[in-house]
Amino acid sequence: MSYSGLANPKPKFGLDEEIIISKRGSRGHCRTPAYIRGKAGRIERYCGNFRNPEQLAENIKDADIIPLYRCIFNQHDIWDNYKGPKTDTLEIEIYEHWIERS
Amino acid sequence: MPHDSLKMGPHDVGGESSQTIDTHDHGMTYWEKFSNGLRMAVSSTGIIKLDELRLVAEGFGEAYFEMEYFQRNGLALVALCKKKSLFSEKEFQLELDNQKKNFKIPIIDLPNPKELVHLHDGVAHTHKGADFQEDEFGEGPPDFYFDMLATAAILKNKKIISQSDIQSRIEKFDSVFPFRGISVVTKAWVDADFRERLLRDAKSAIKDMGIDLESFADIICFAQSEETHHIVVCTLCSCYPRTLLGMPPSWYKSRSYRSRVVHEPRAVLEEFGVIIPASREVKVHDSNADMRYLILPQRPEGTNGWSEEALSKLISRDHLVGVGVPDNVI
Repeated sequence: MSYSGLANPKPKFGLDEEIIISKRGSRGHCRTPAYIRGKAGRIERYCGNFRNPEQLAENIKDADIIPLYRCIFNQHDIWDNYKGPKTDTLEIEIYEHWIERS
Repeated sequence: MPHDSLKMGPHDVGGESSQTIDTHDHGMTYWEKFSNGLRMAVSSTGIIKLDELRLVAEGFGEAYFEMEYFQRNGLALVALCKKKSLFSEKEFQLELDNQKKNFKIPIIDLPNPKELVHLHDGVAHTHKGADFQEDEFGEGPPDFYFDMLATAAILKNKKIISQSDIQSRIEKFDSVFPFRGISVVTKAWVDADFRERLLRDAKSAIKDMGIDLESFADIICFAQSEETHHIVVCTLCSCYPRTLLGMPPSWYKSRSYRSRVVHEPRAVLEEFGVIIPASREVKVHDSNADMRYLILPQRPEGTNGWSEEALSKLISRDHLVGVGVPDNVI
């Protein structure tokens, strides 16, 4: 697809790469929900580069430009007592500074 | 359940247990439409960023869920305008008193809806009587509406926005945006090349239809199939492709939907009357950042040779979010 995001930097993670969402706290505004922090999944796609929403919320001038990915998780890897088939999944957008190599 | 210490605030509800979802869309009152139009008009100036508004609303703490959606977002706008010194507290209070003193519930001379035919994205559209059931007839406005009126008056006076900036948004949300997604789906049902382009690059495919989404966000389209059922939620707020589908329904913004879809999507779907066989994957999309989603339902059986106009009558907004599927025609 064509990306409306900004040109640089180049994405660090590749398609299907196994990753973990950082399990750290945050202050202020952030787009990484608590339920997905610390969970293991894979990169579903790279979505282009966008300004860091945590900095945009604070009206910081020239907020950092960060690669954004869609990450895919097996539901049973997110929730201990997920009721449903093993094939059920969840996909969510995560900015690169919240993603770690597994 | 997510680790409580990581919870960002009352808005970060994904994974919470919550009550049964009220699956009926309660629509919007005139006051809510005005608040929404004002907020969109101010955001479009670039003076105020969406993430700044979100941060202020999240900072309401326990009051976050005590307020209605439009009140919460409206009061966040007022607070941010003051913080950015677009107007002072004193200026605001003066204008607020003025608005309250001069307010009269508008008496609107309604047109005969049957005679009103106009174009939606180039297609003739007739209104039904129900379209005009605004609550100008009923209760007076909620208190926060005066805050909205005062904000609008000050910002208009300072030439930051105009009345038509607000009005044009109210009108588009009523009569343009809600019909766009449906027209995209019917085209995908009758035109295999378009369907392929839509699934590969929805933003360009939609643009080629002559629809300007006026939005920074990218659109990703997923097709429902025998293998996978897609469903969309925004657990952190109410991200939604508004210029493609119109305003999100009340349940989409509710705490119960936002909490539950991520951890019990099949139970939620059942509440909407949709049962997905265990052999079919349920895929939840948490629309939490810069992408927006359109779900392409399967074309109902028994519709071979149907025109796009006839097909459009089978589609509801719920199908395009994934909480409903169109019925087959027998």
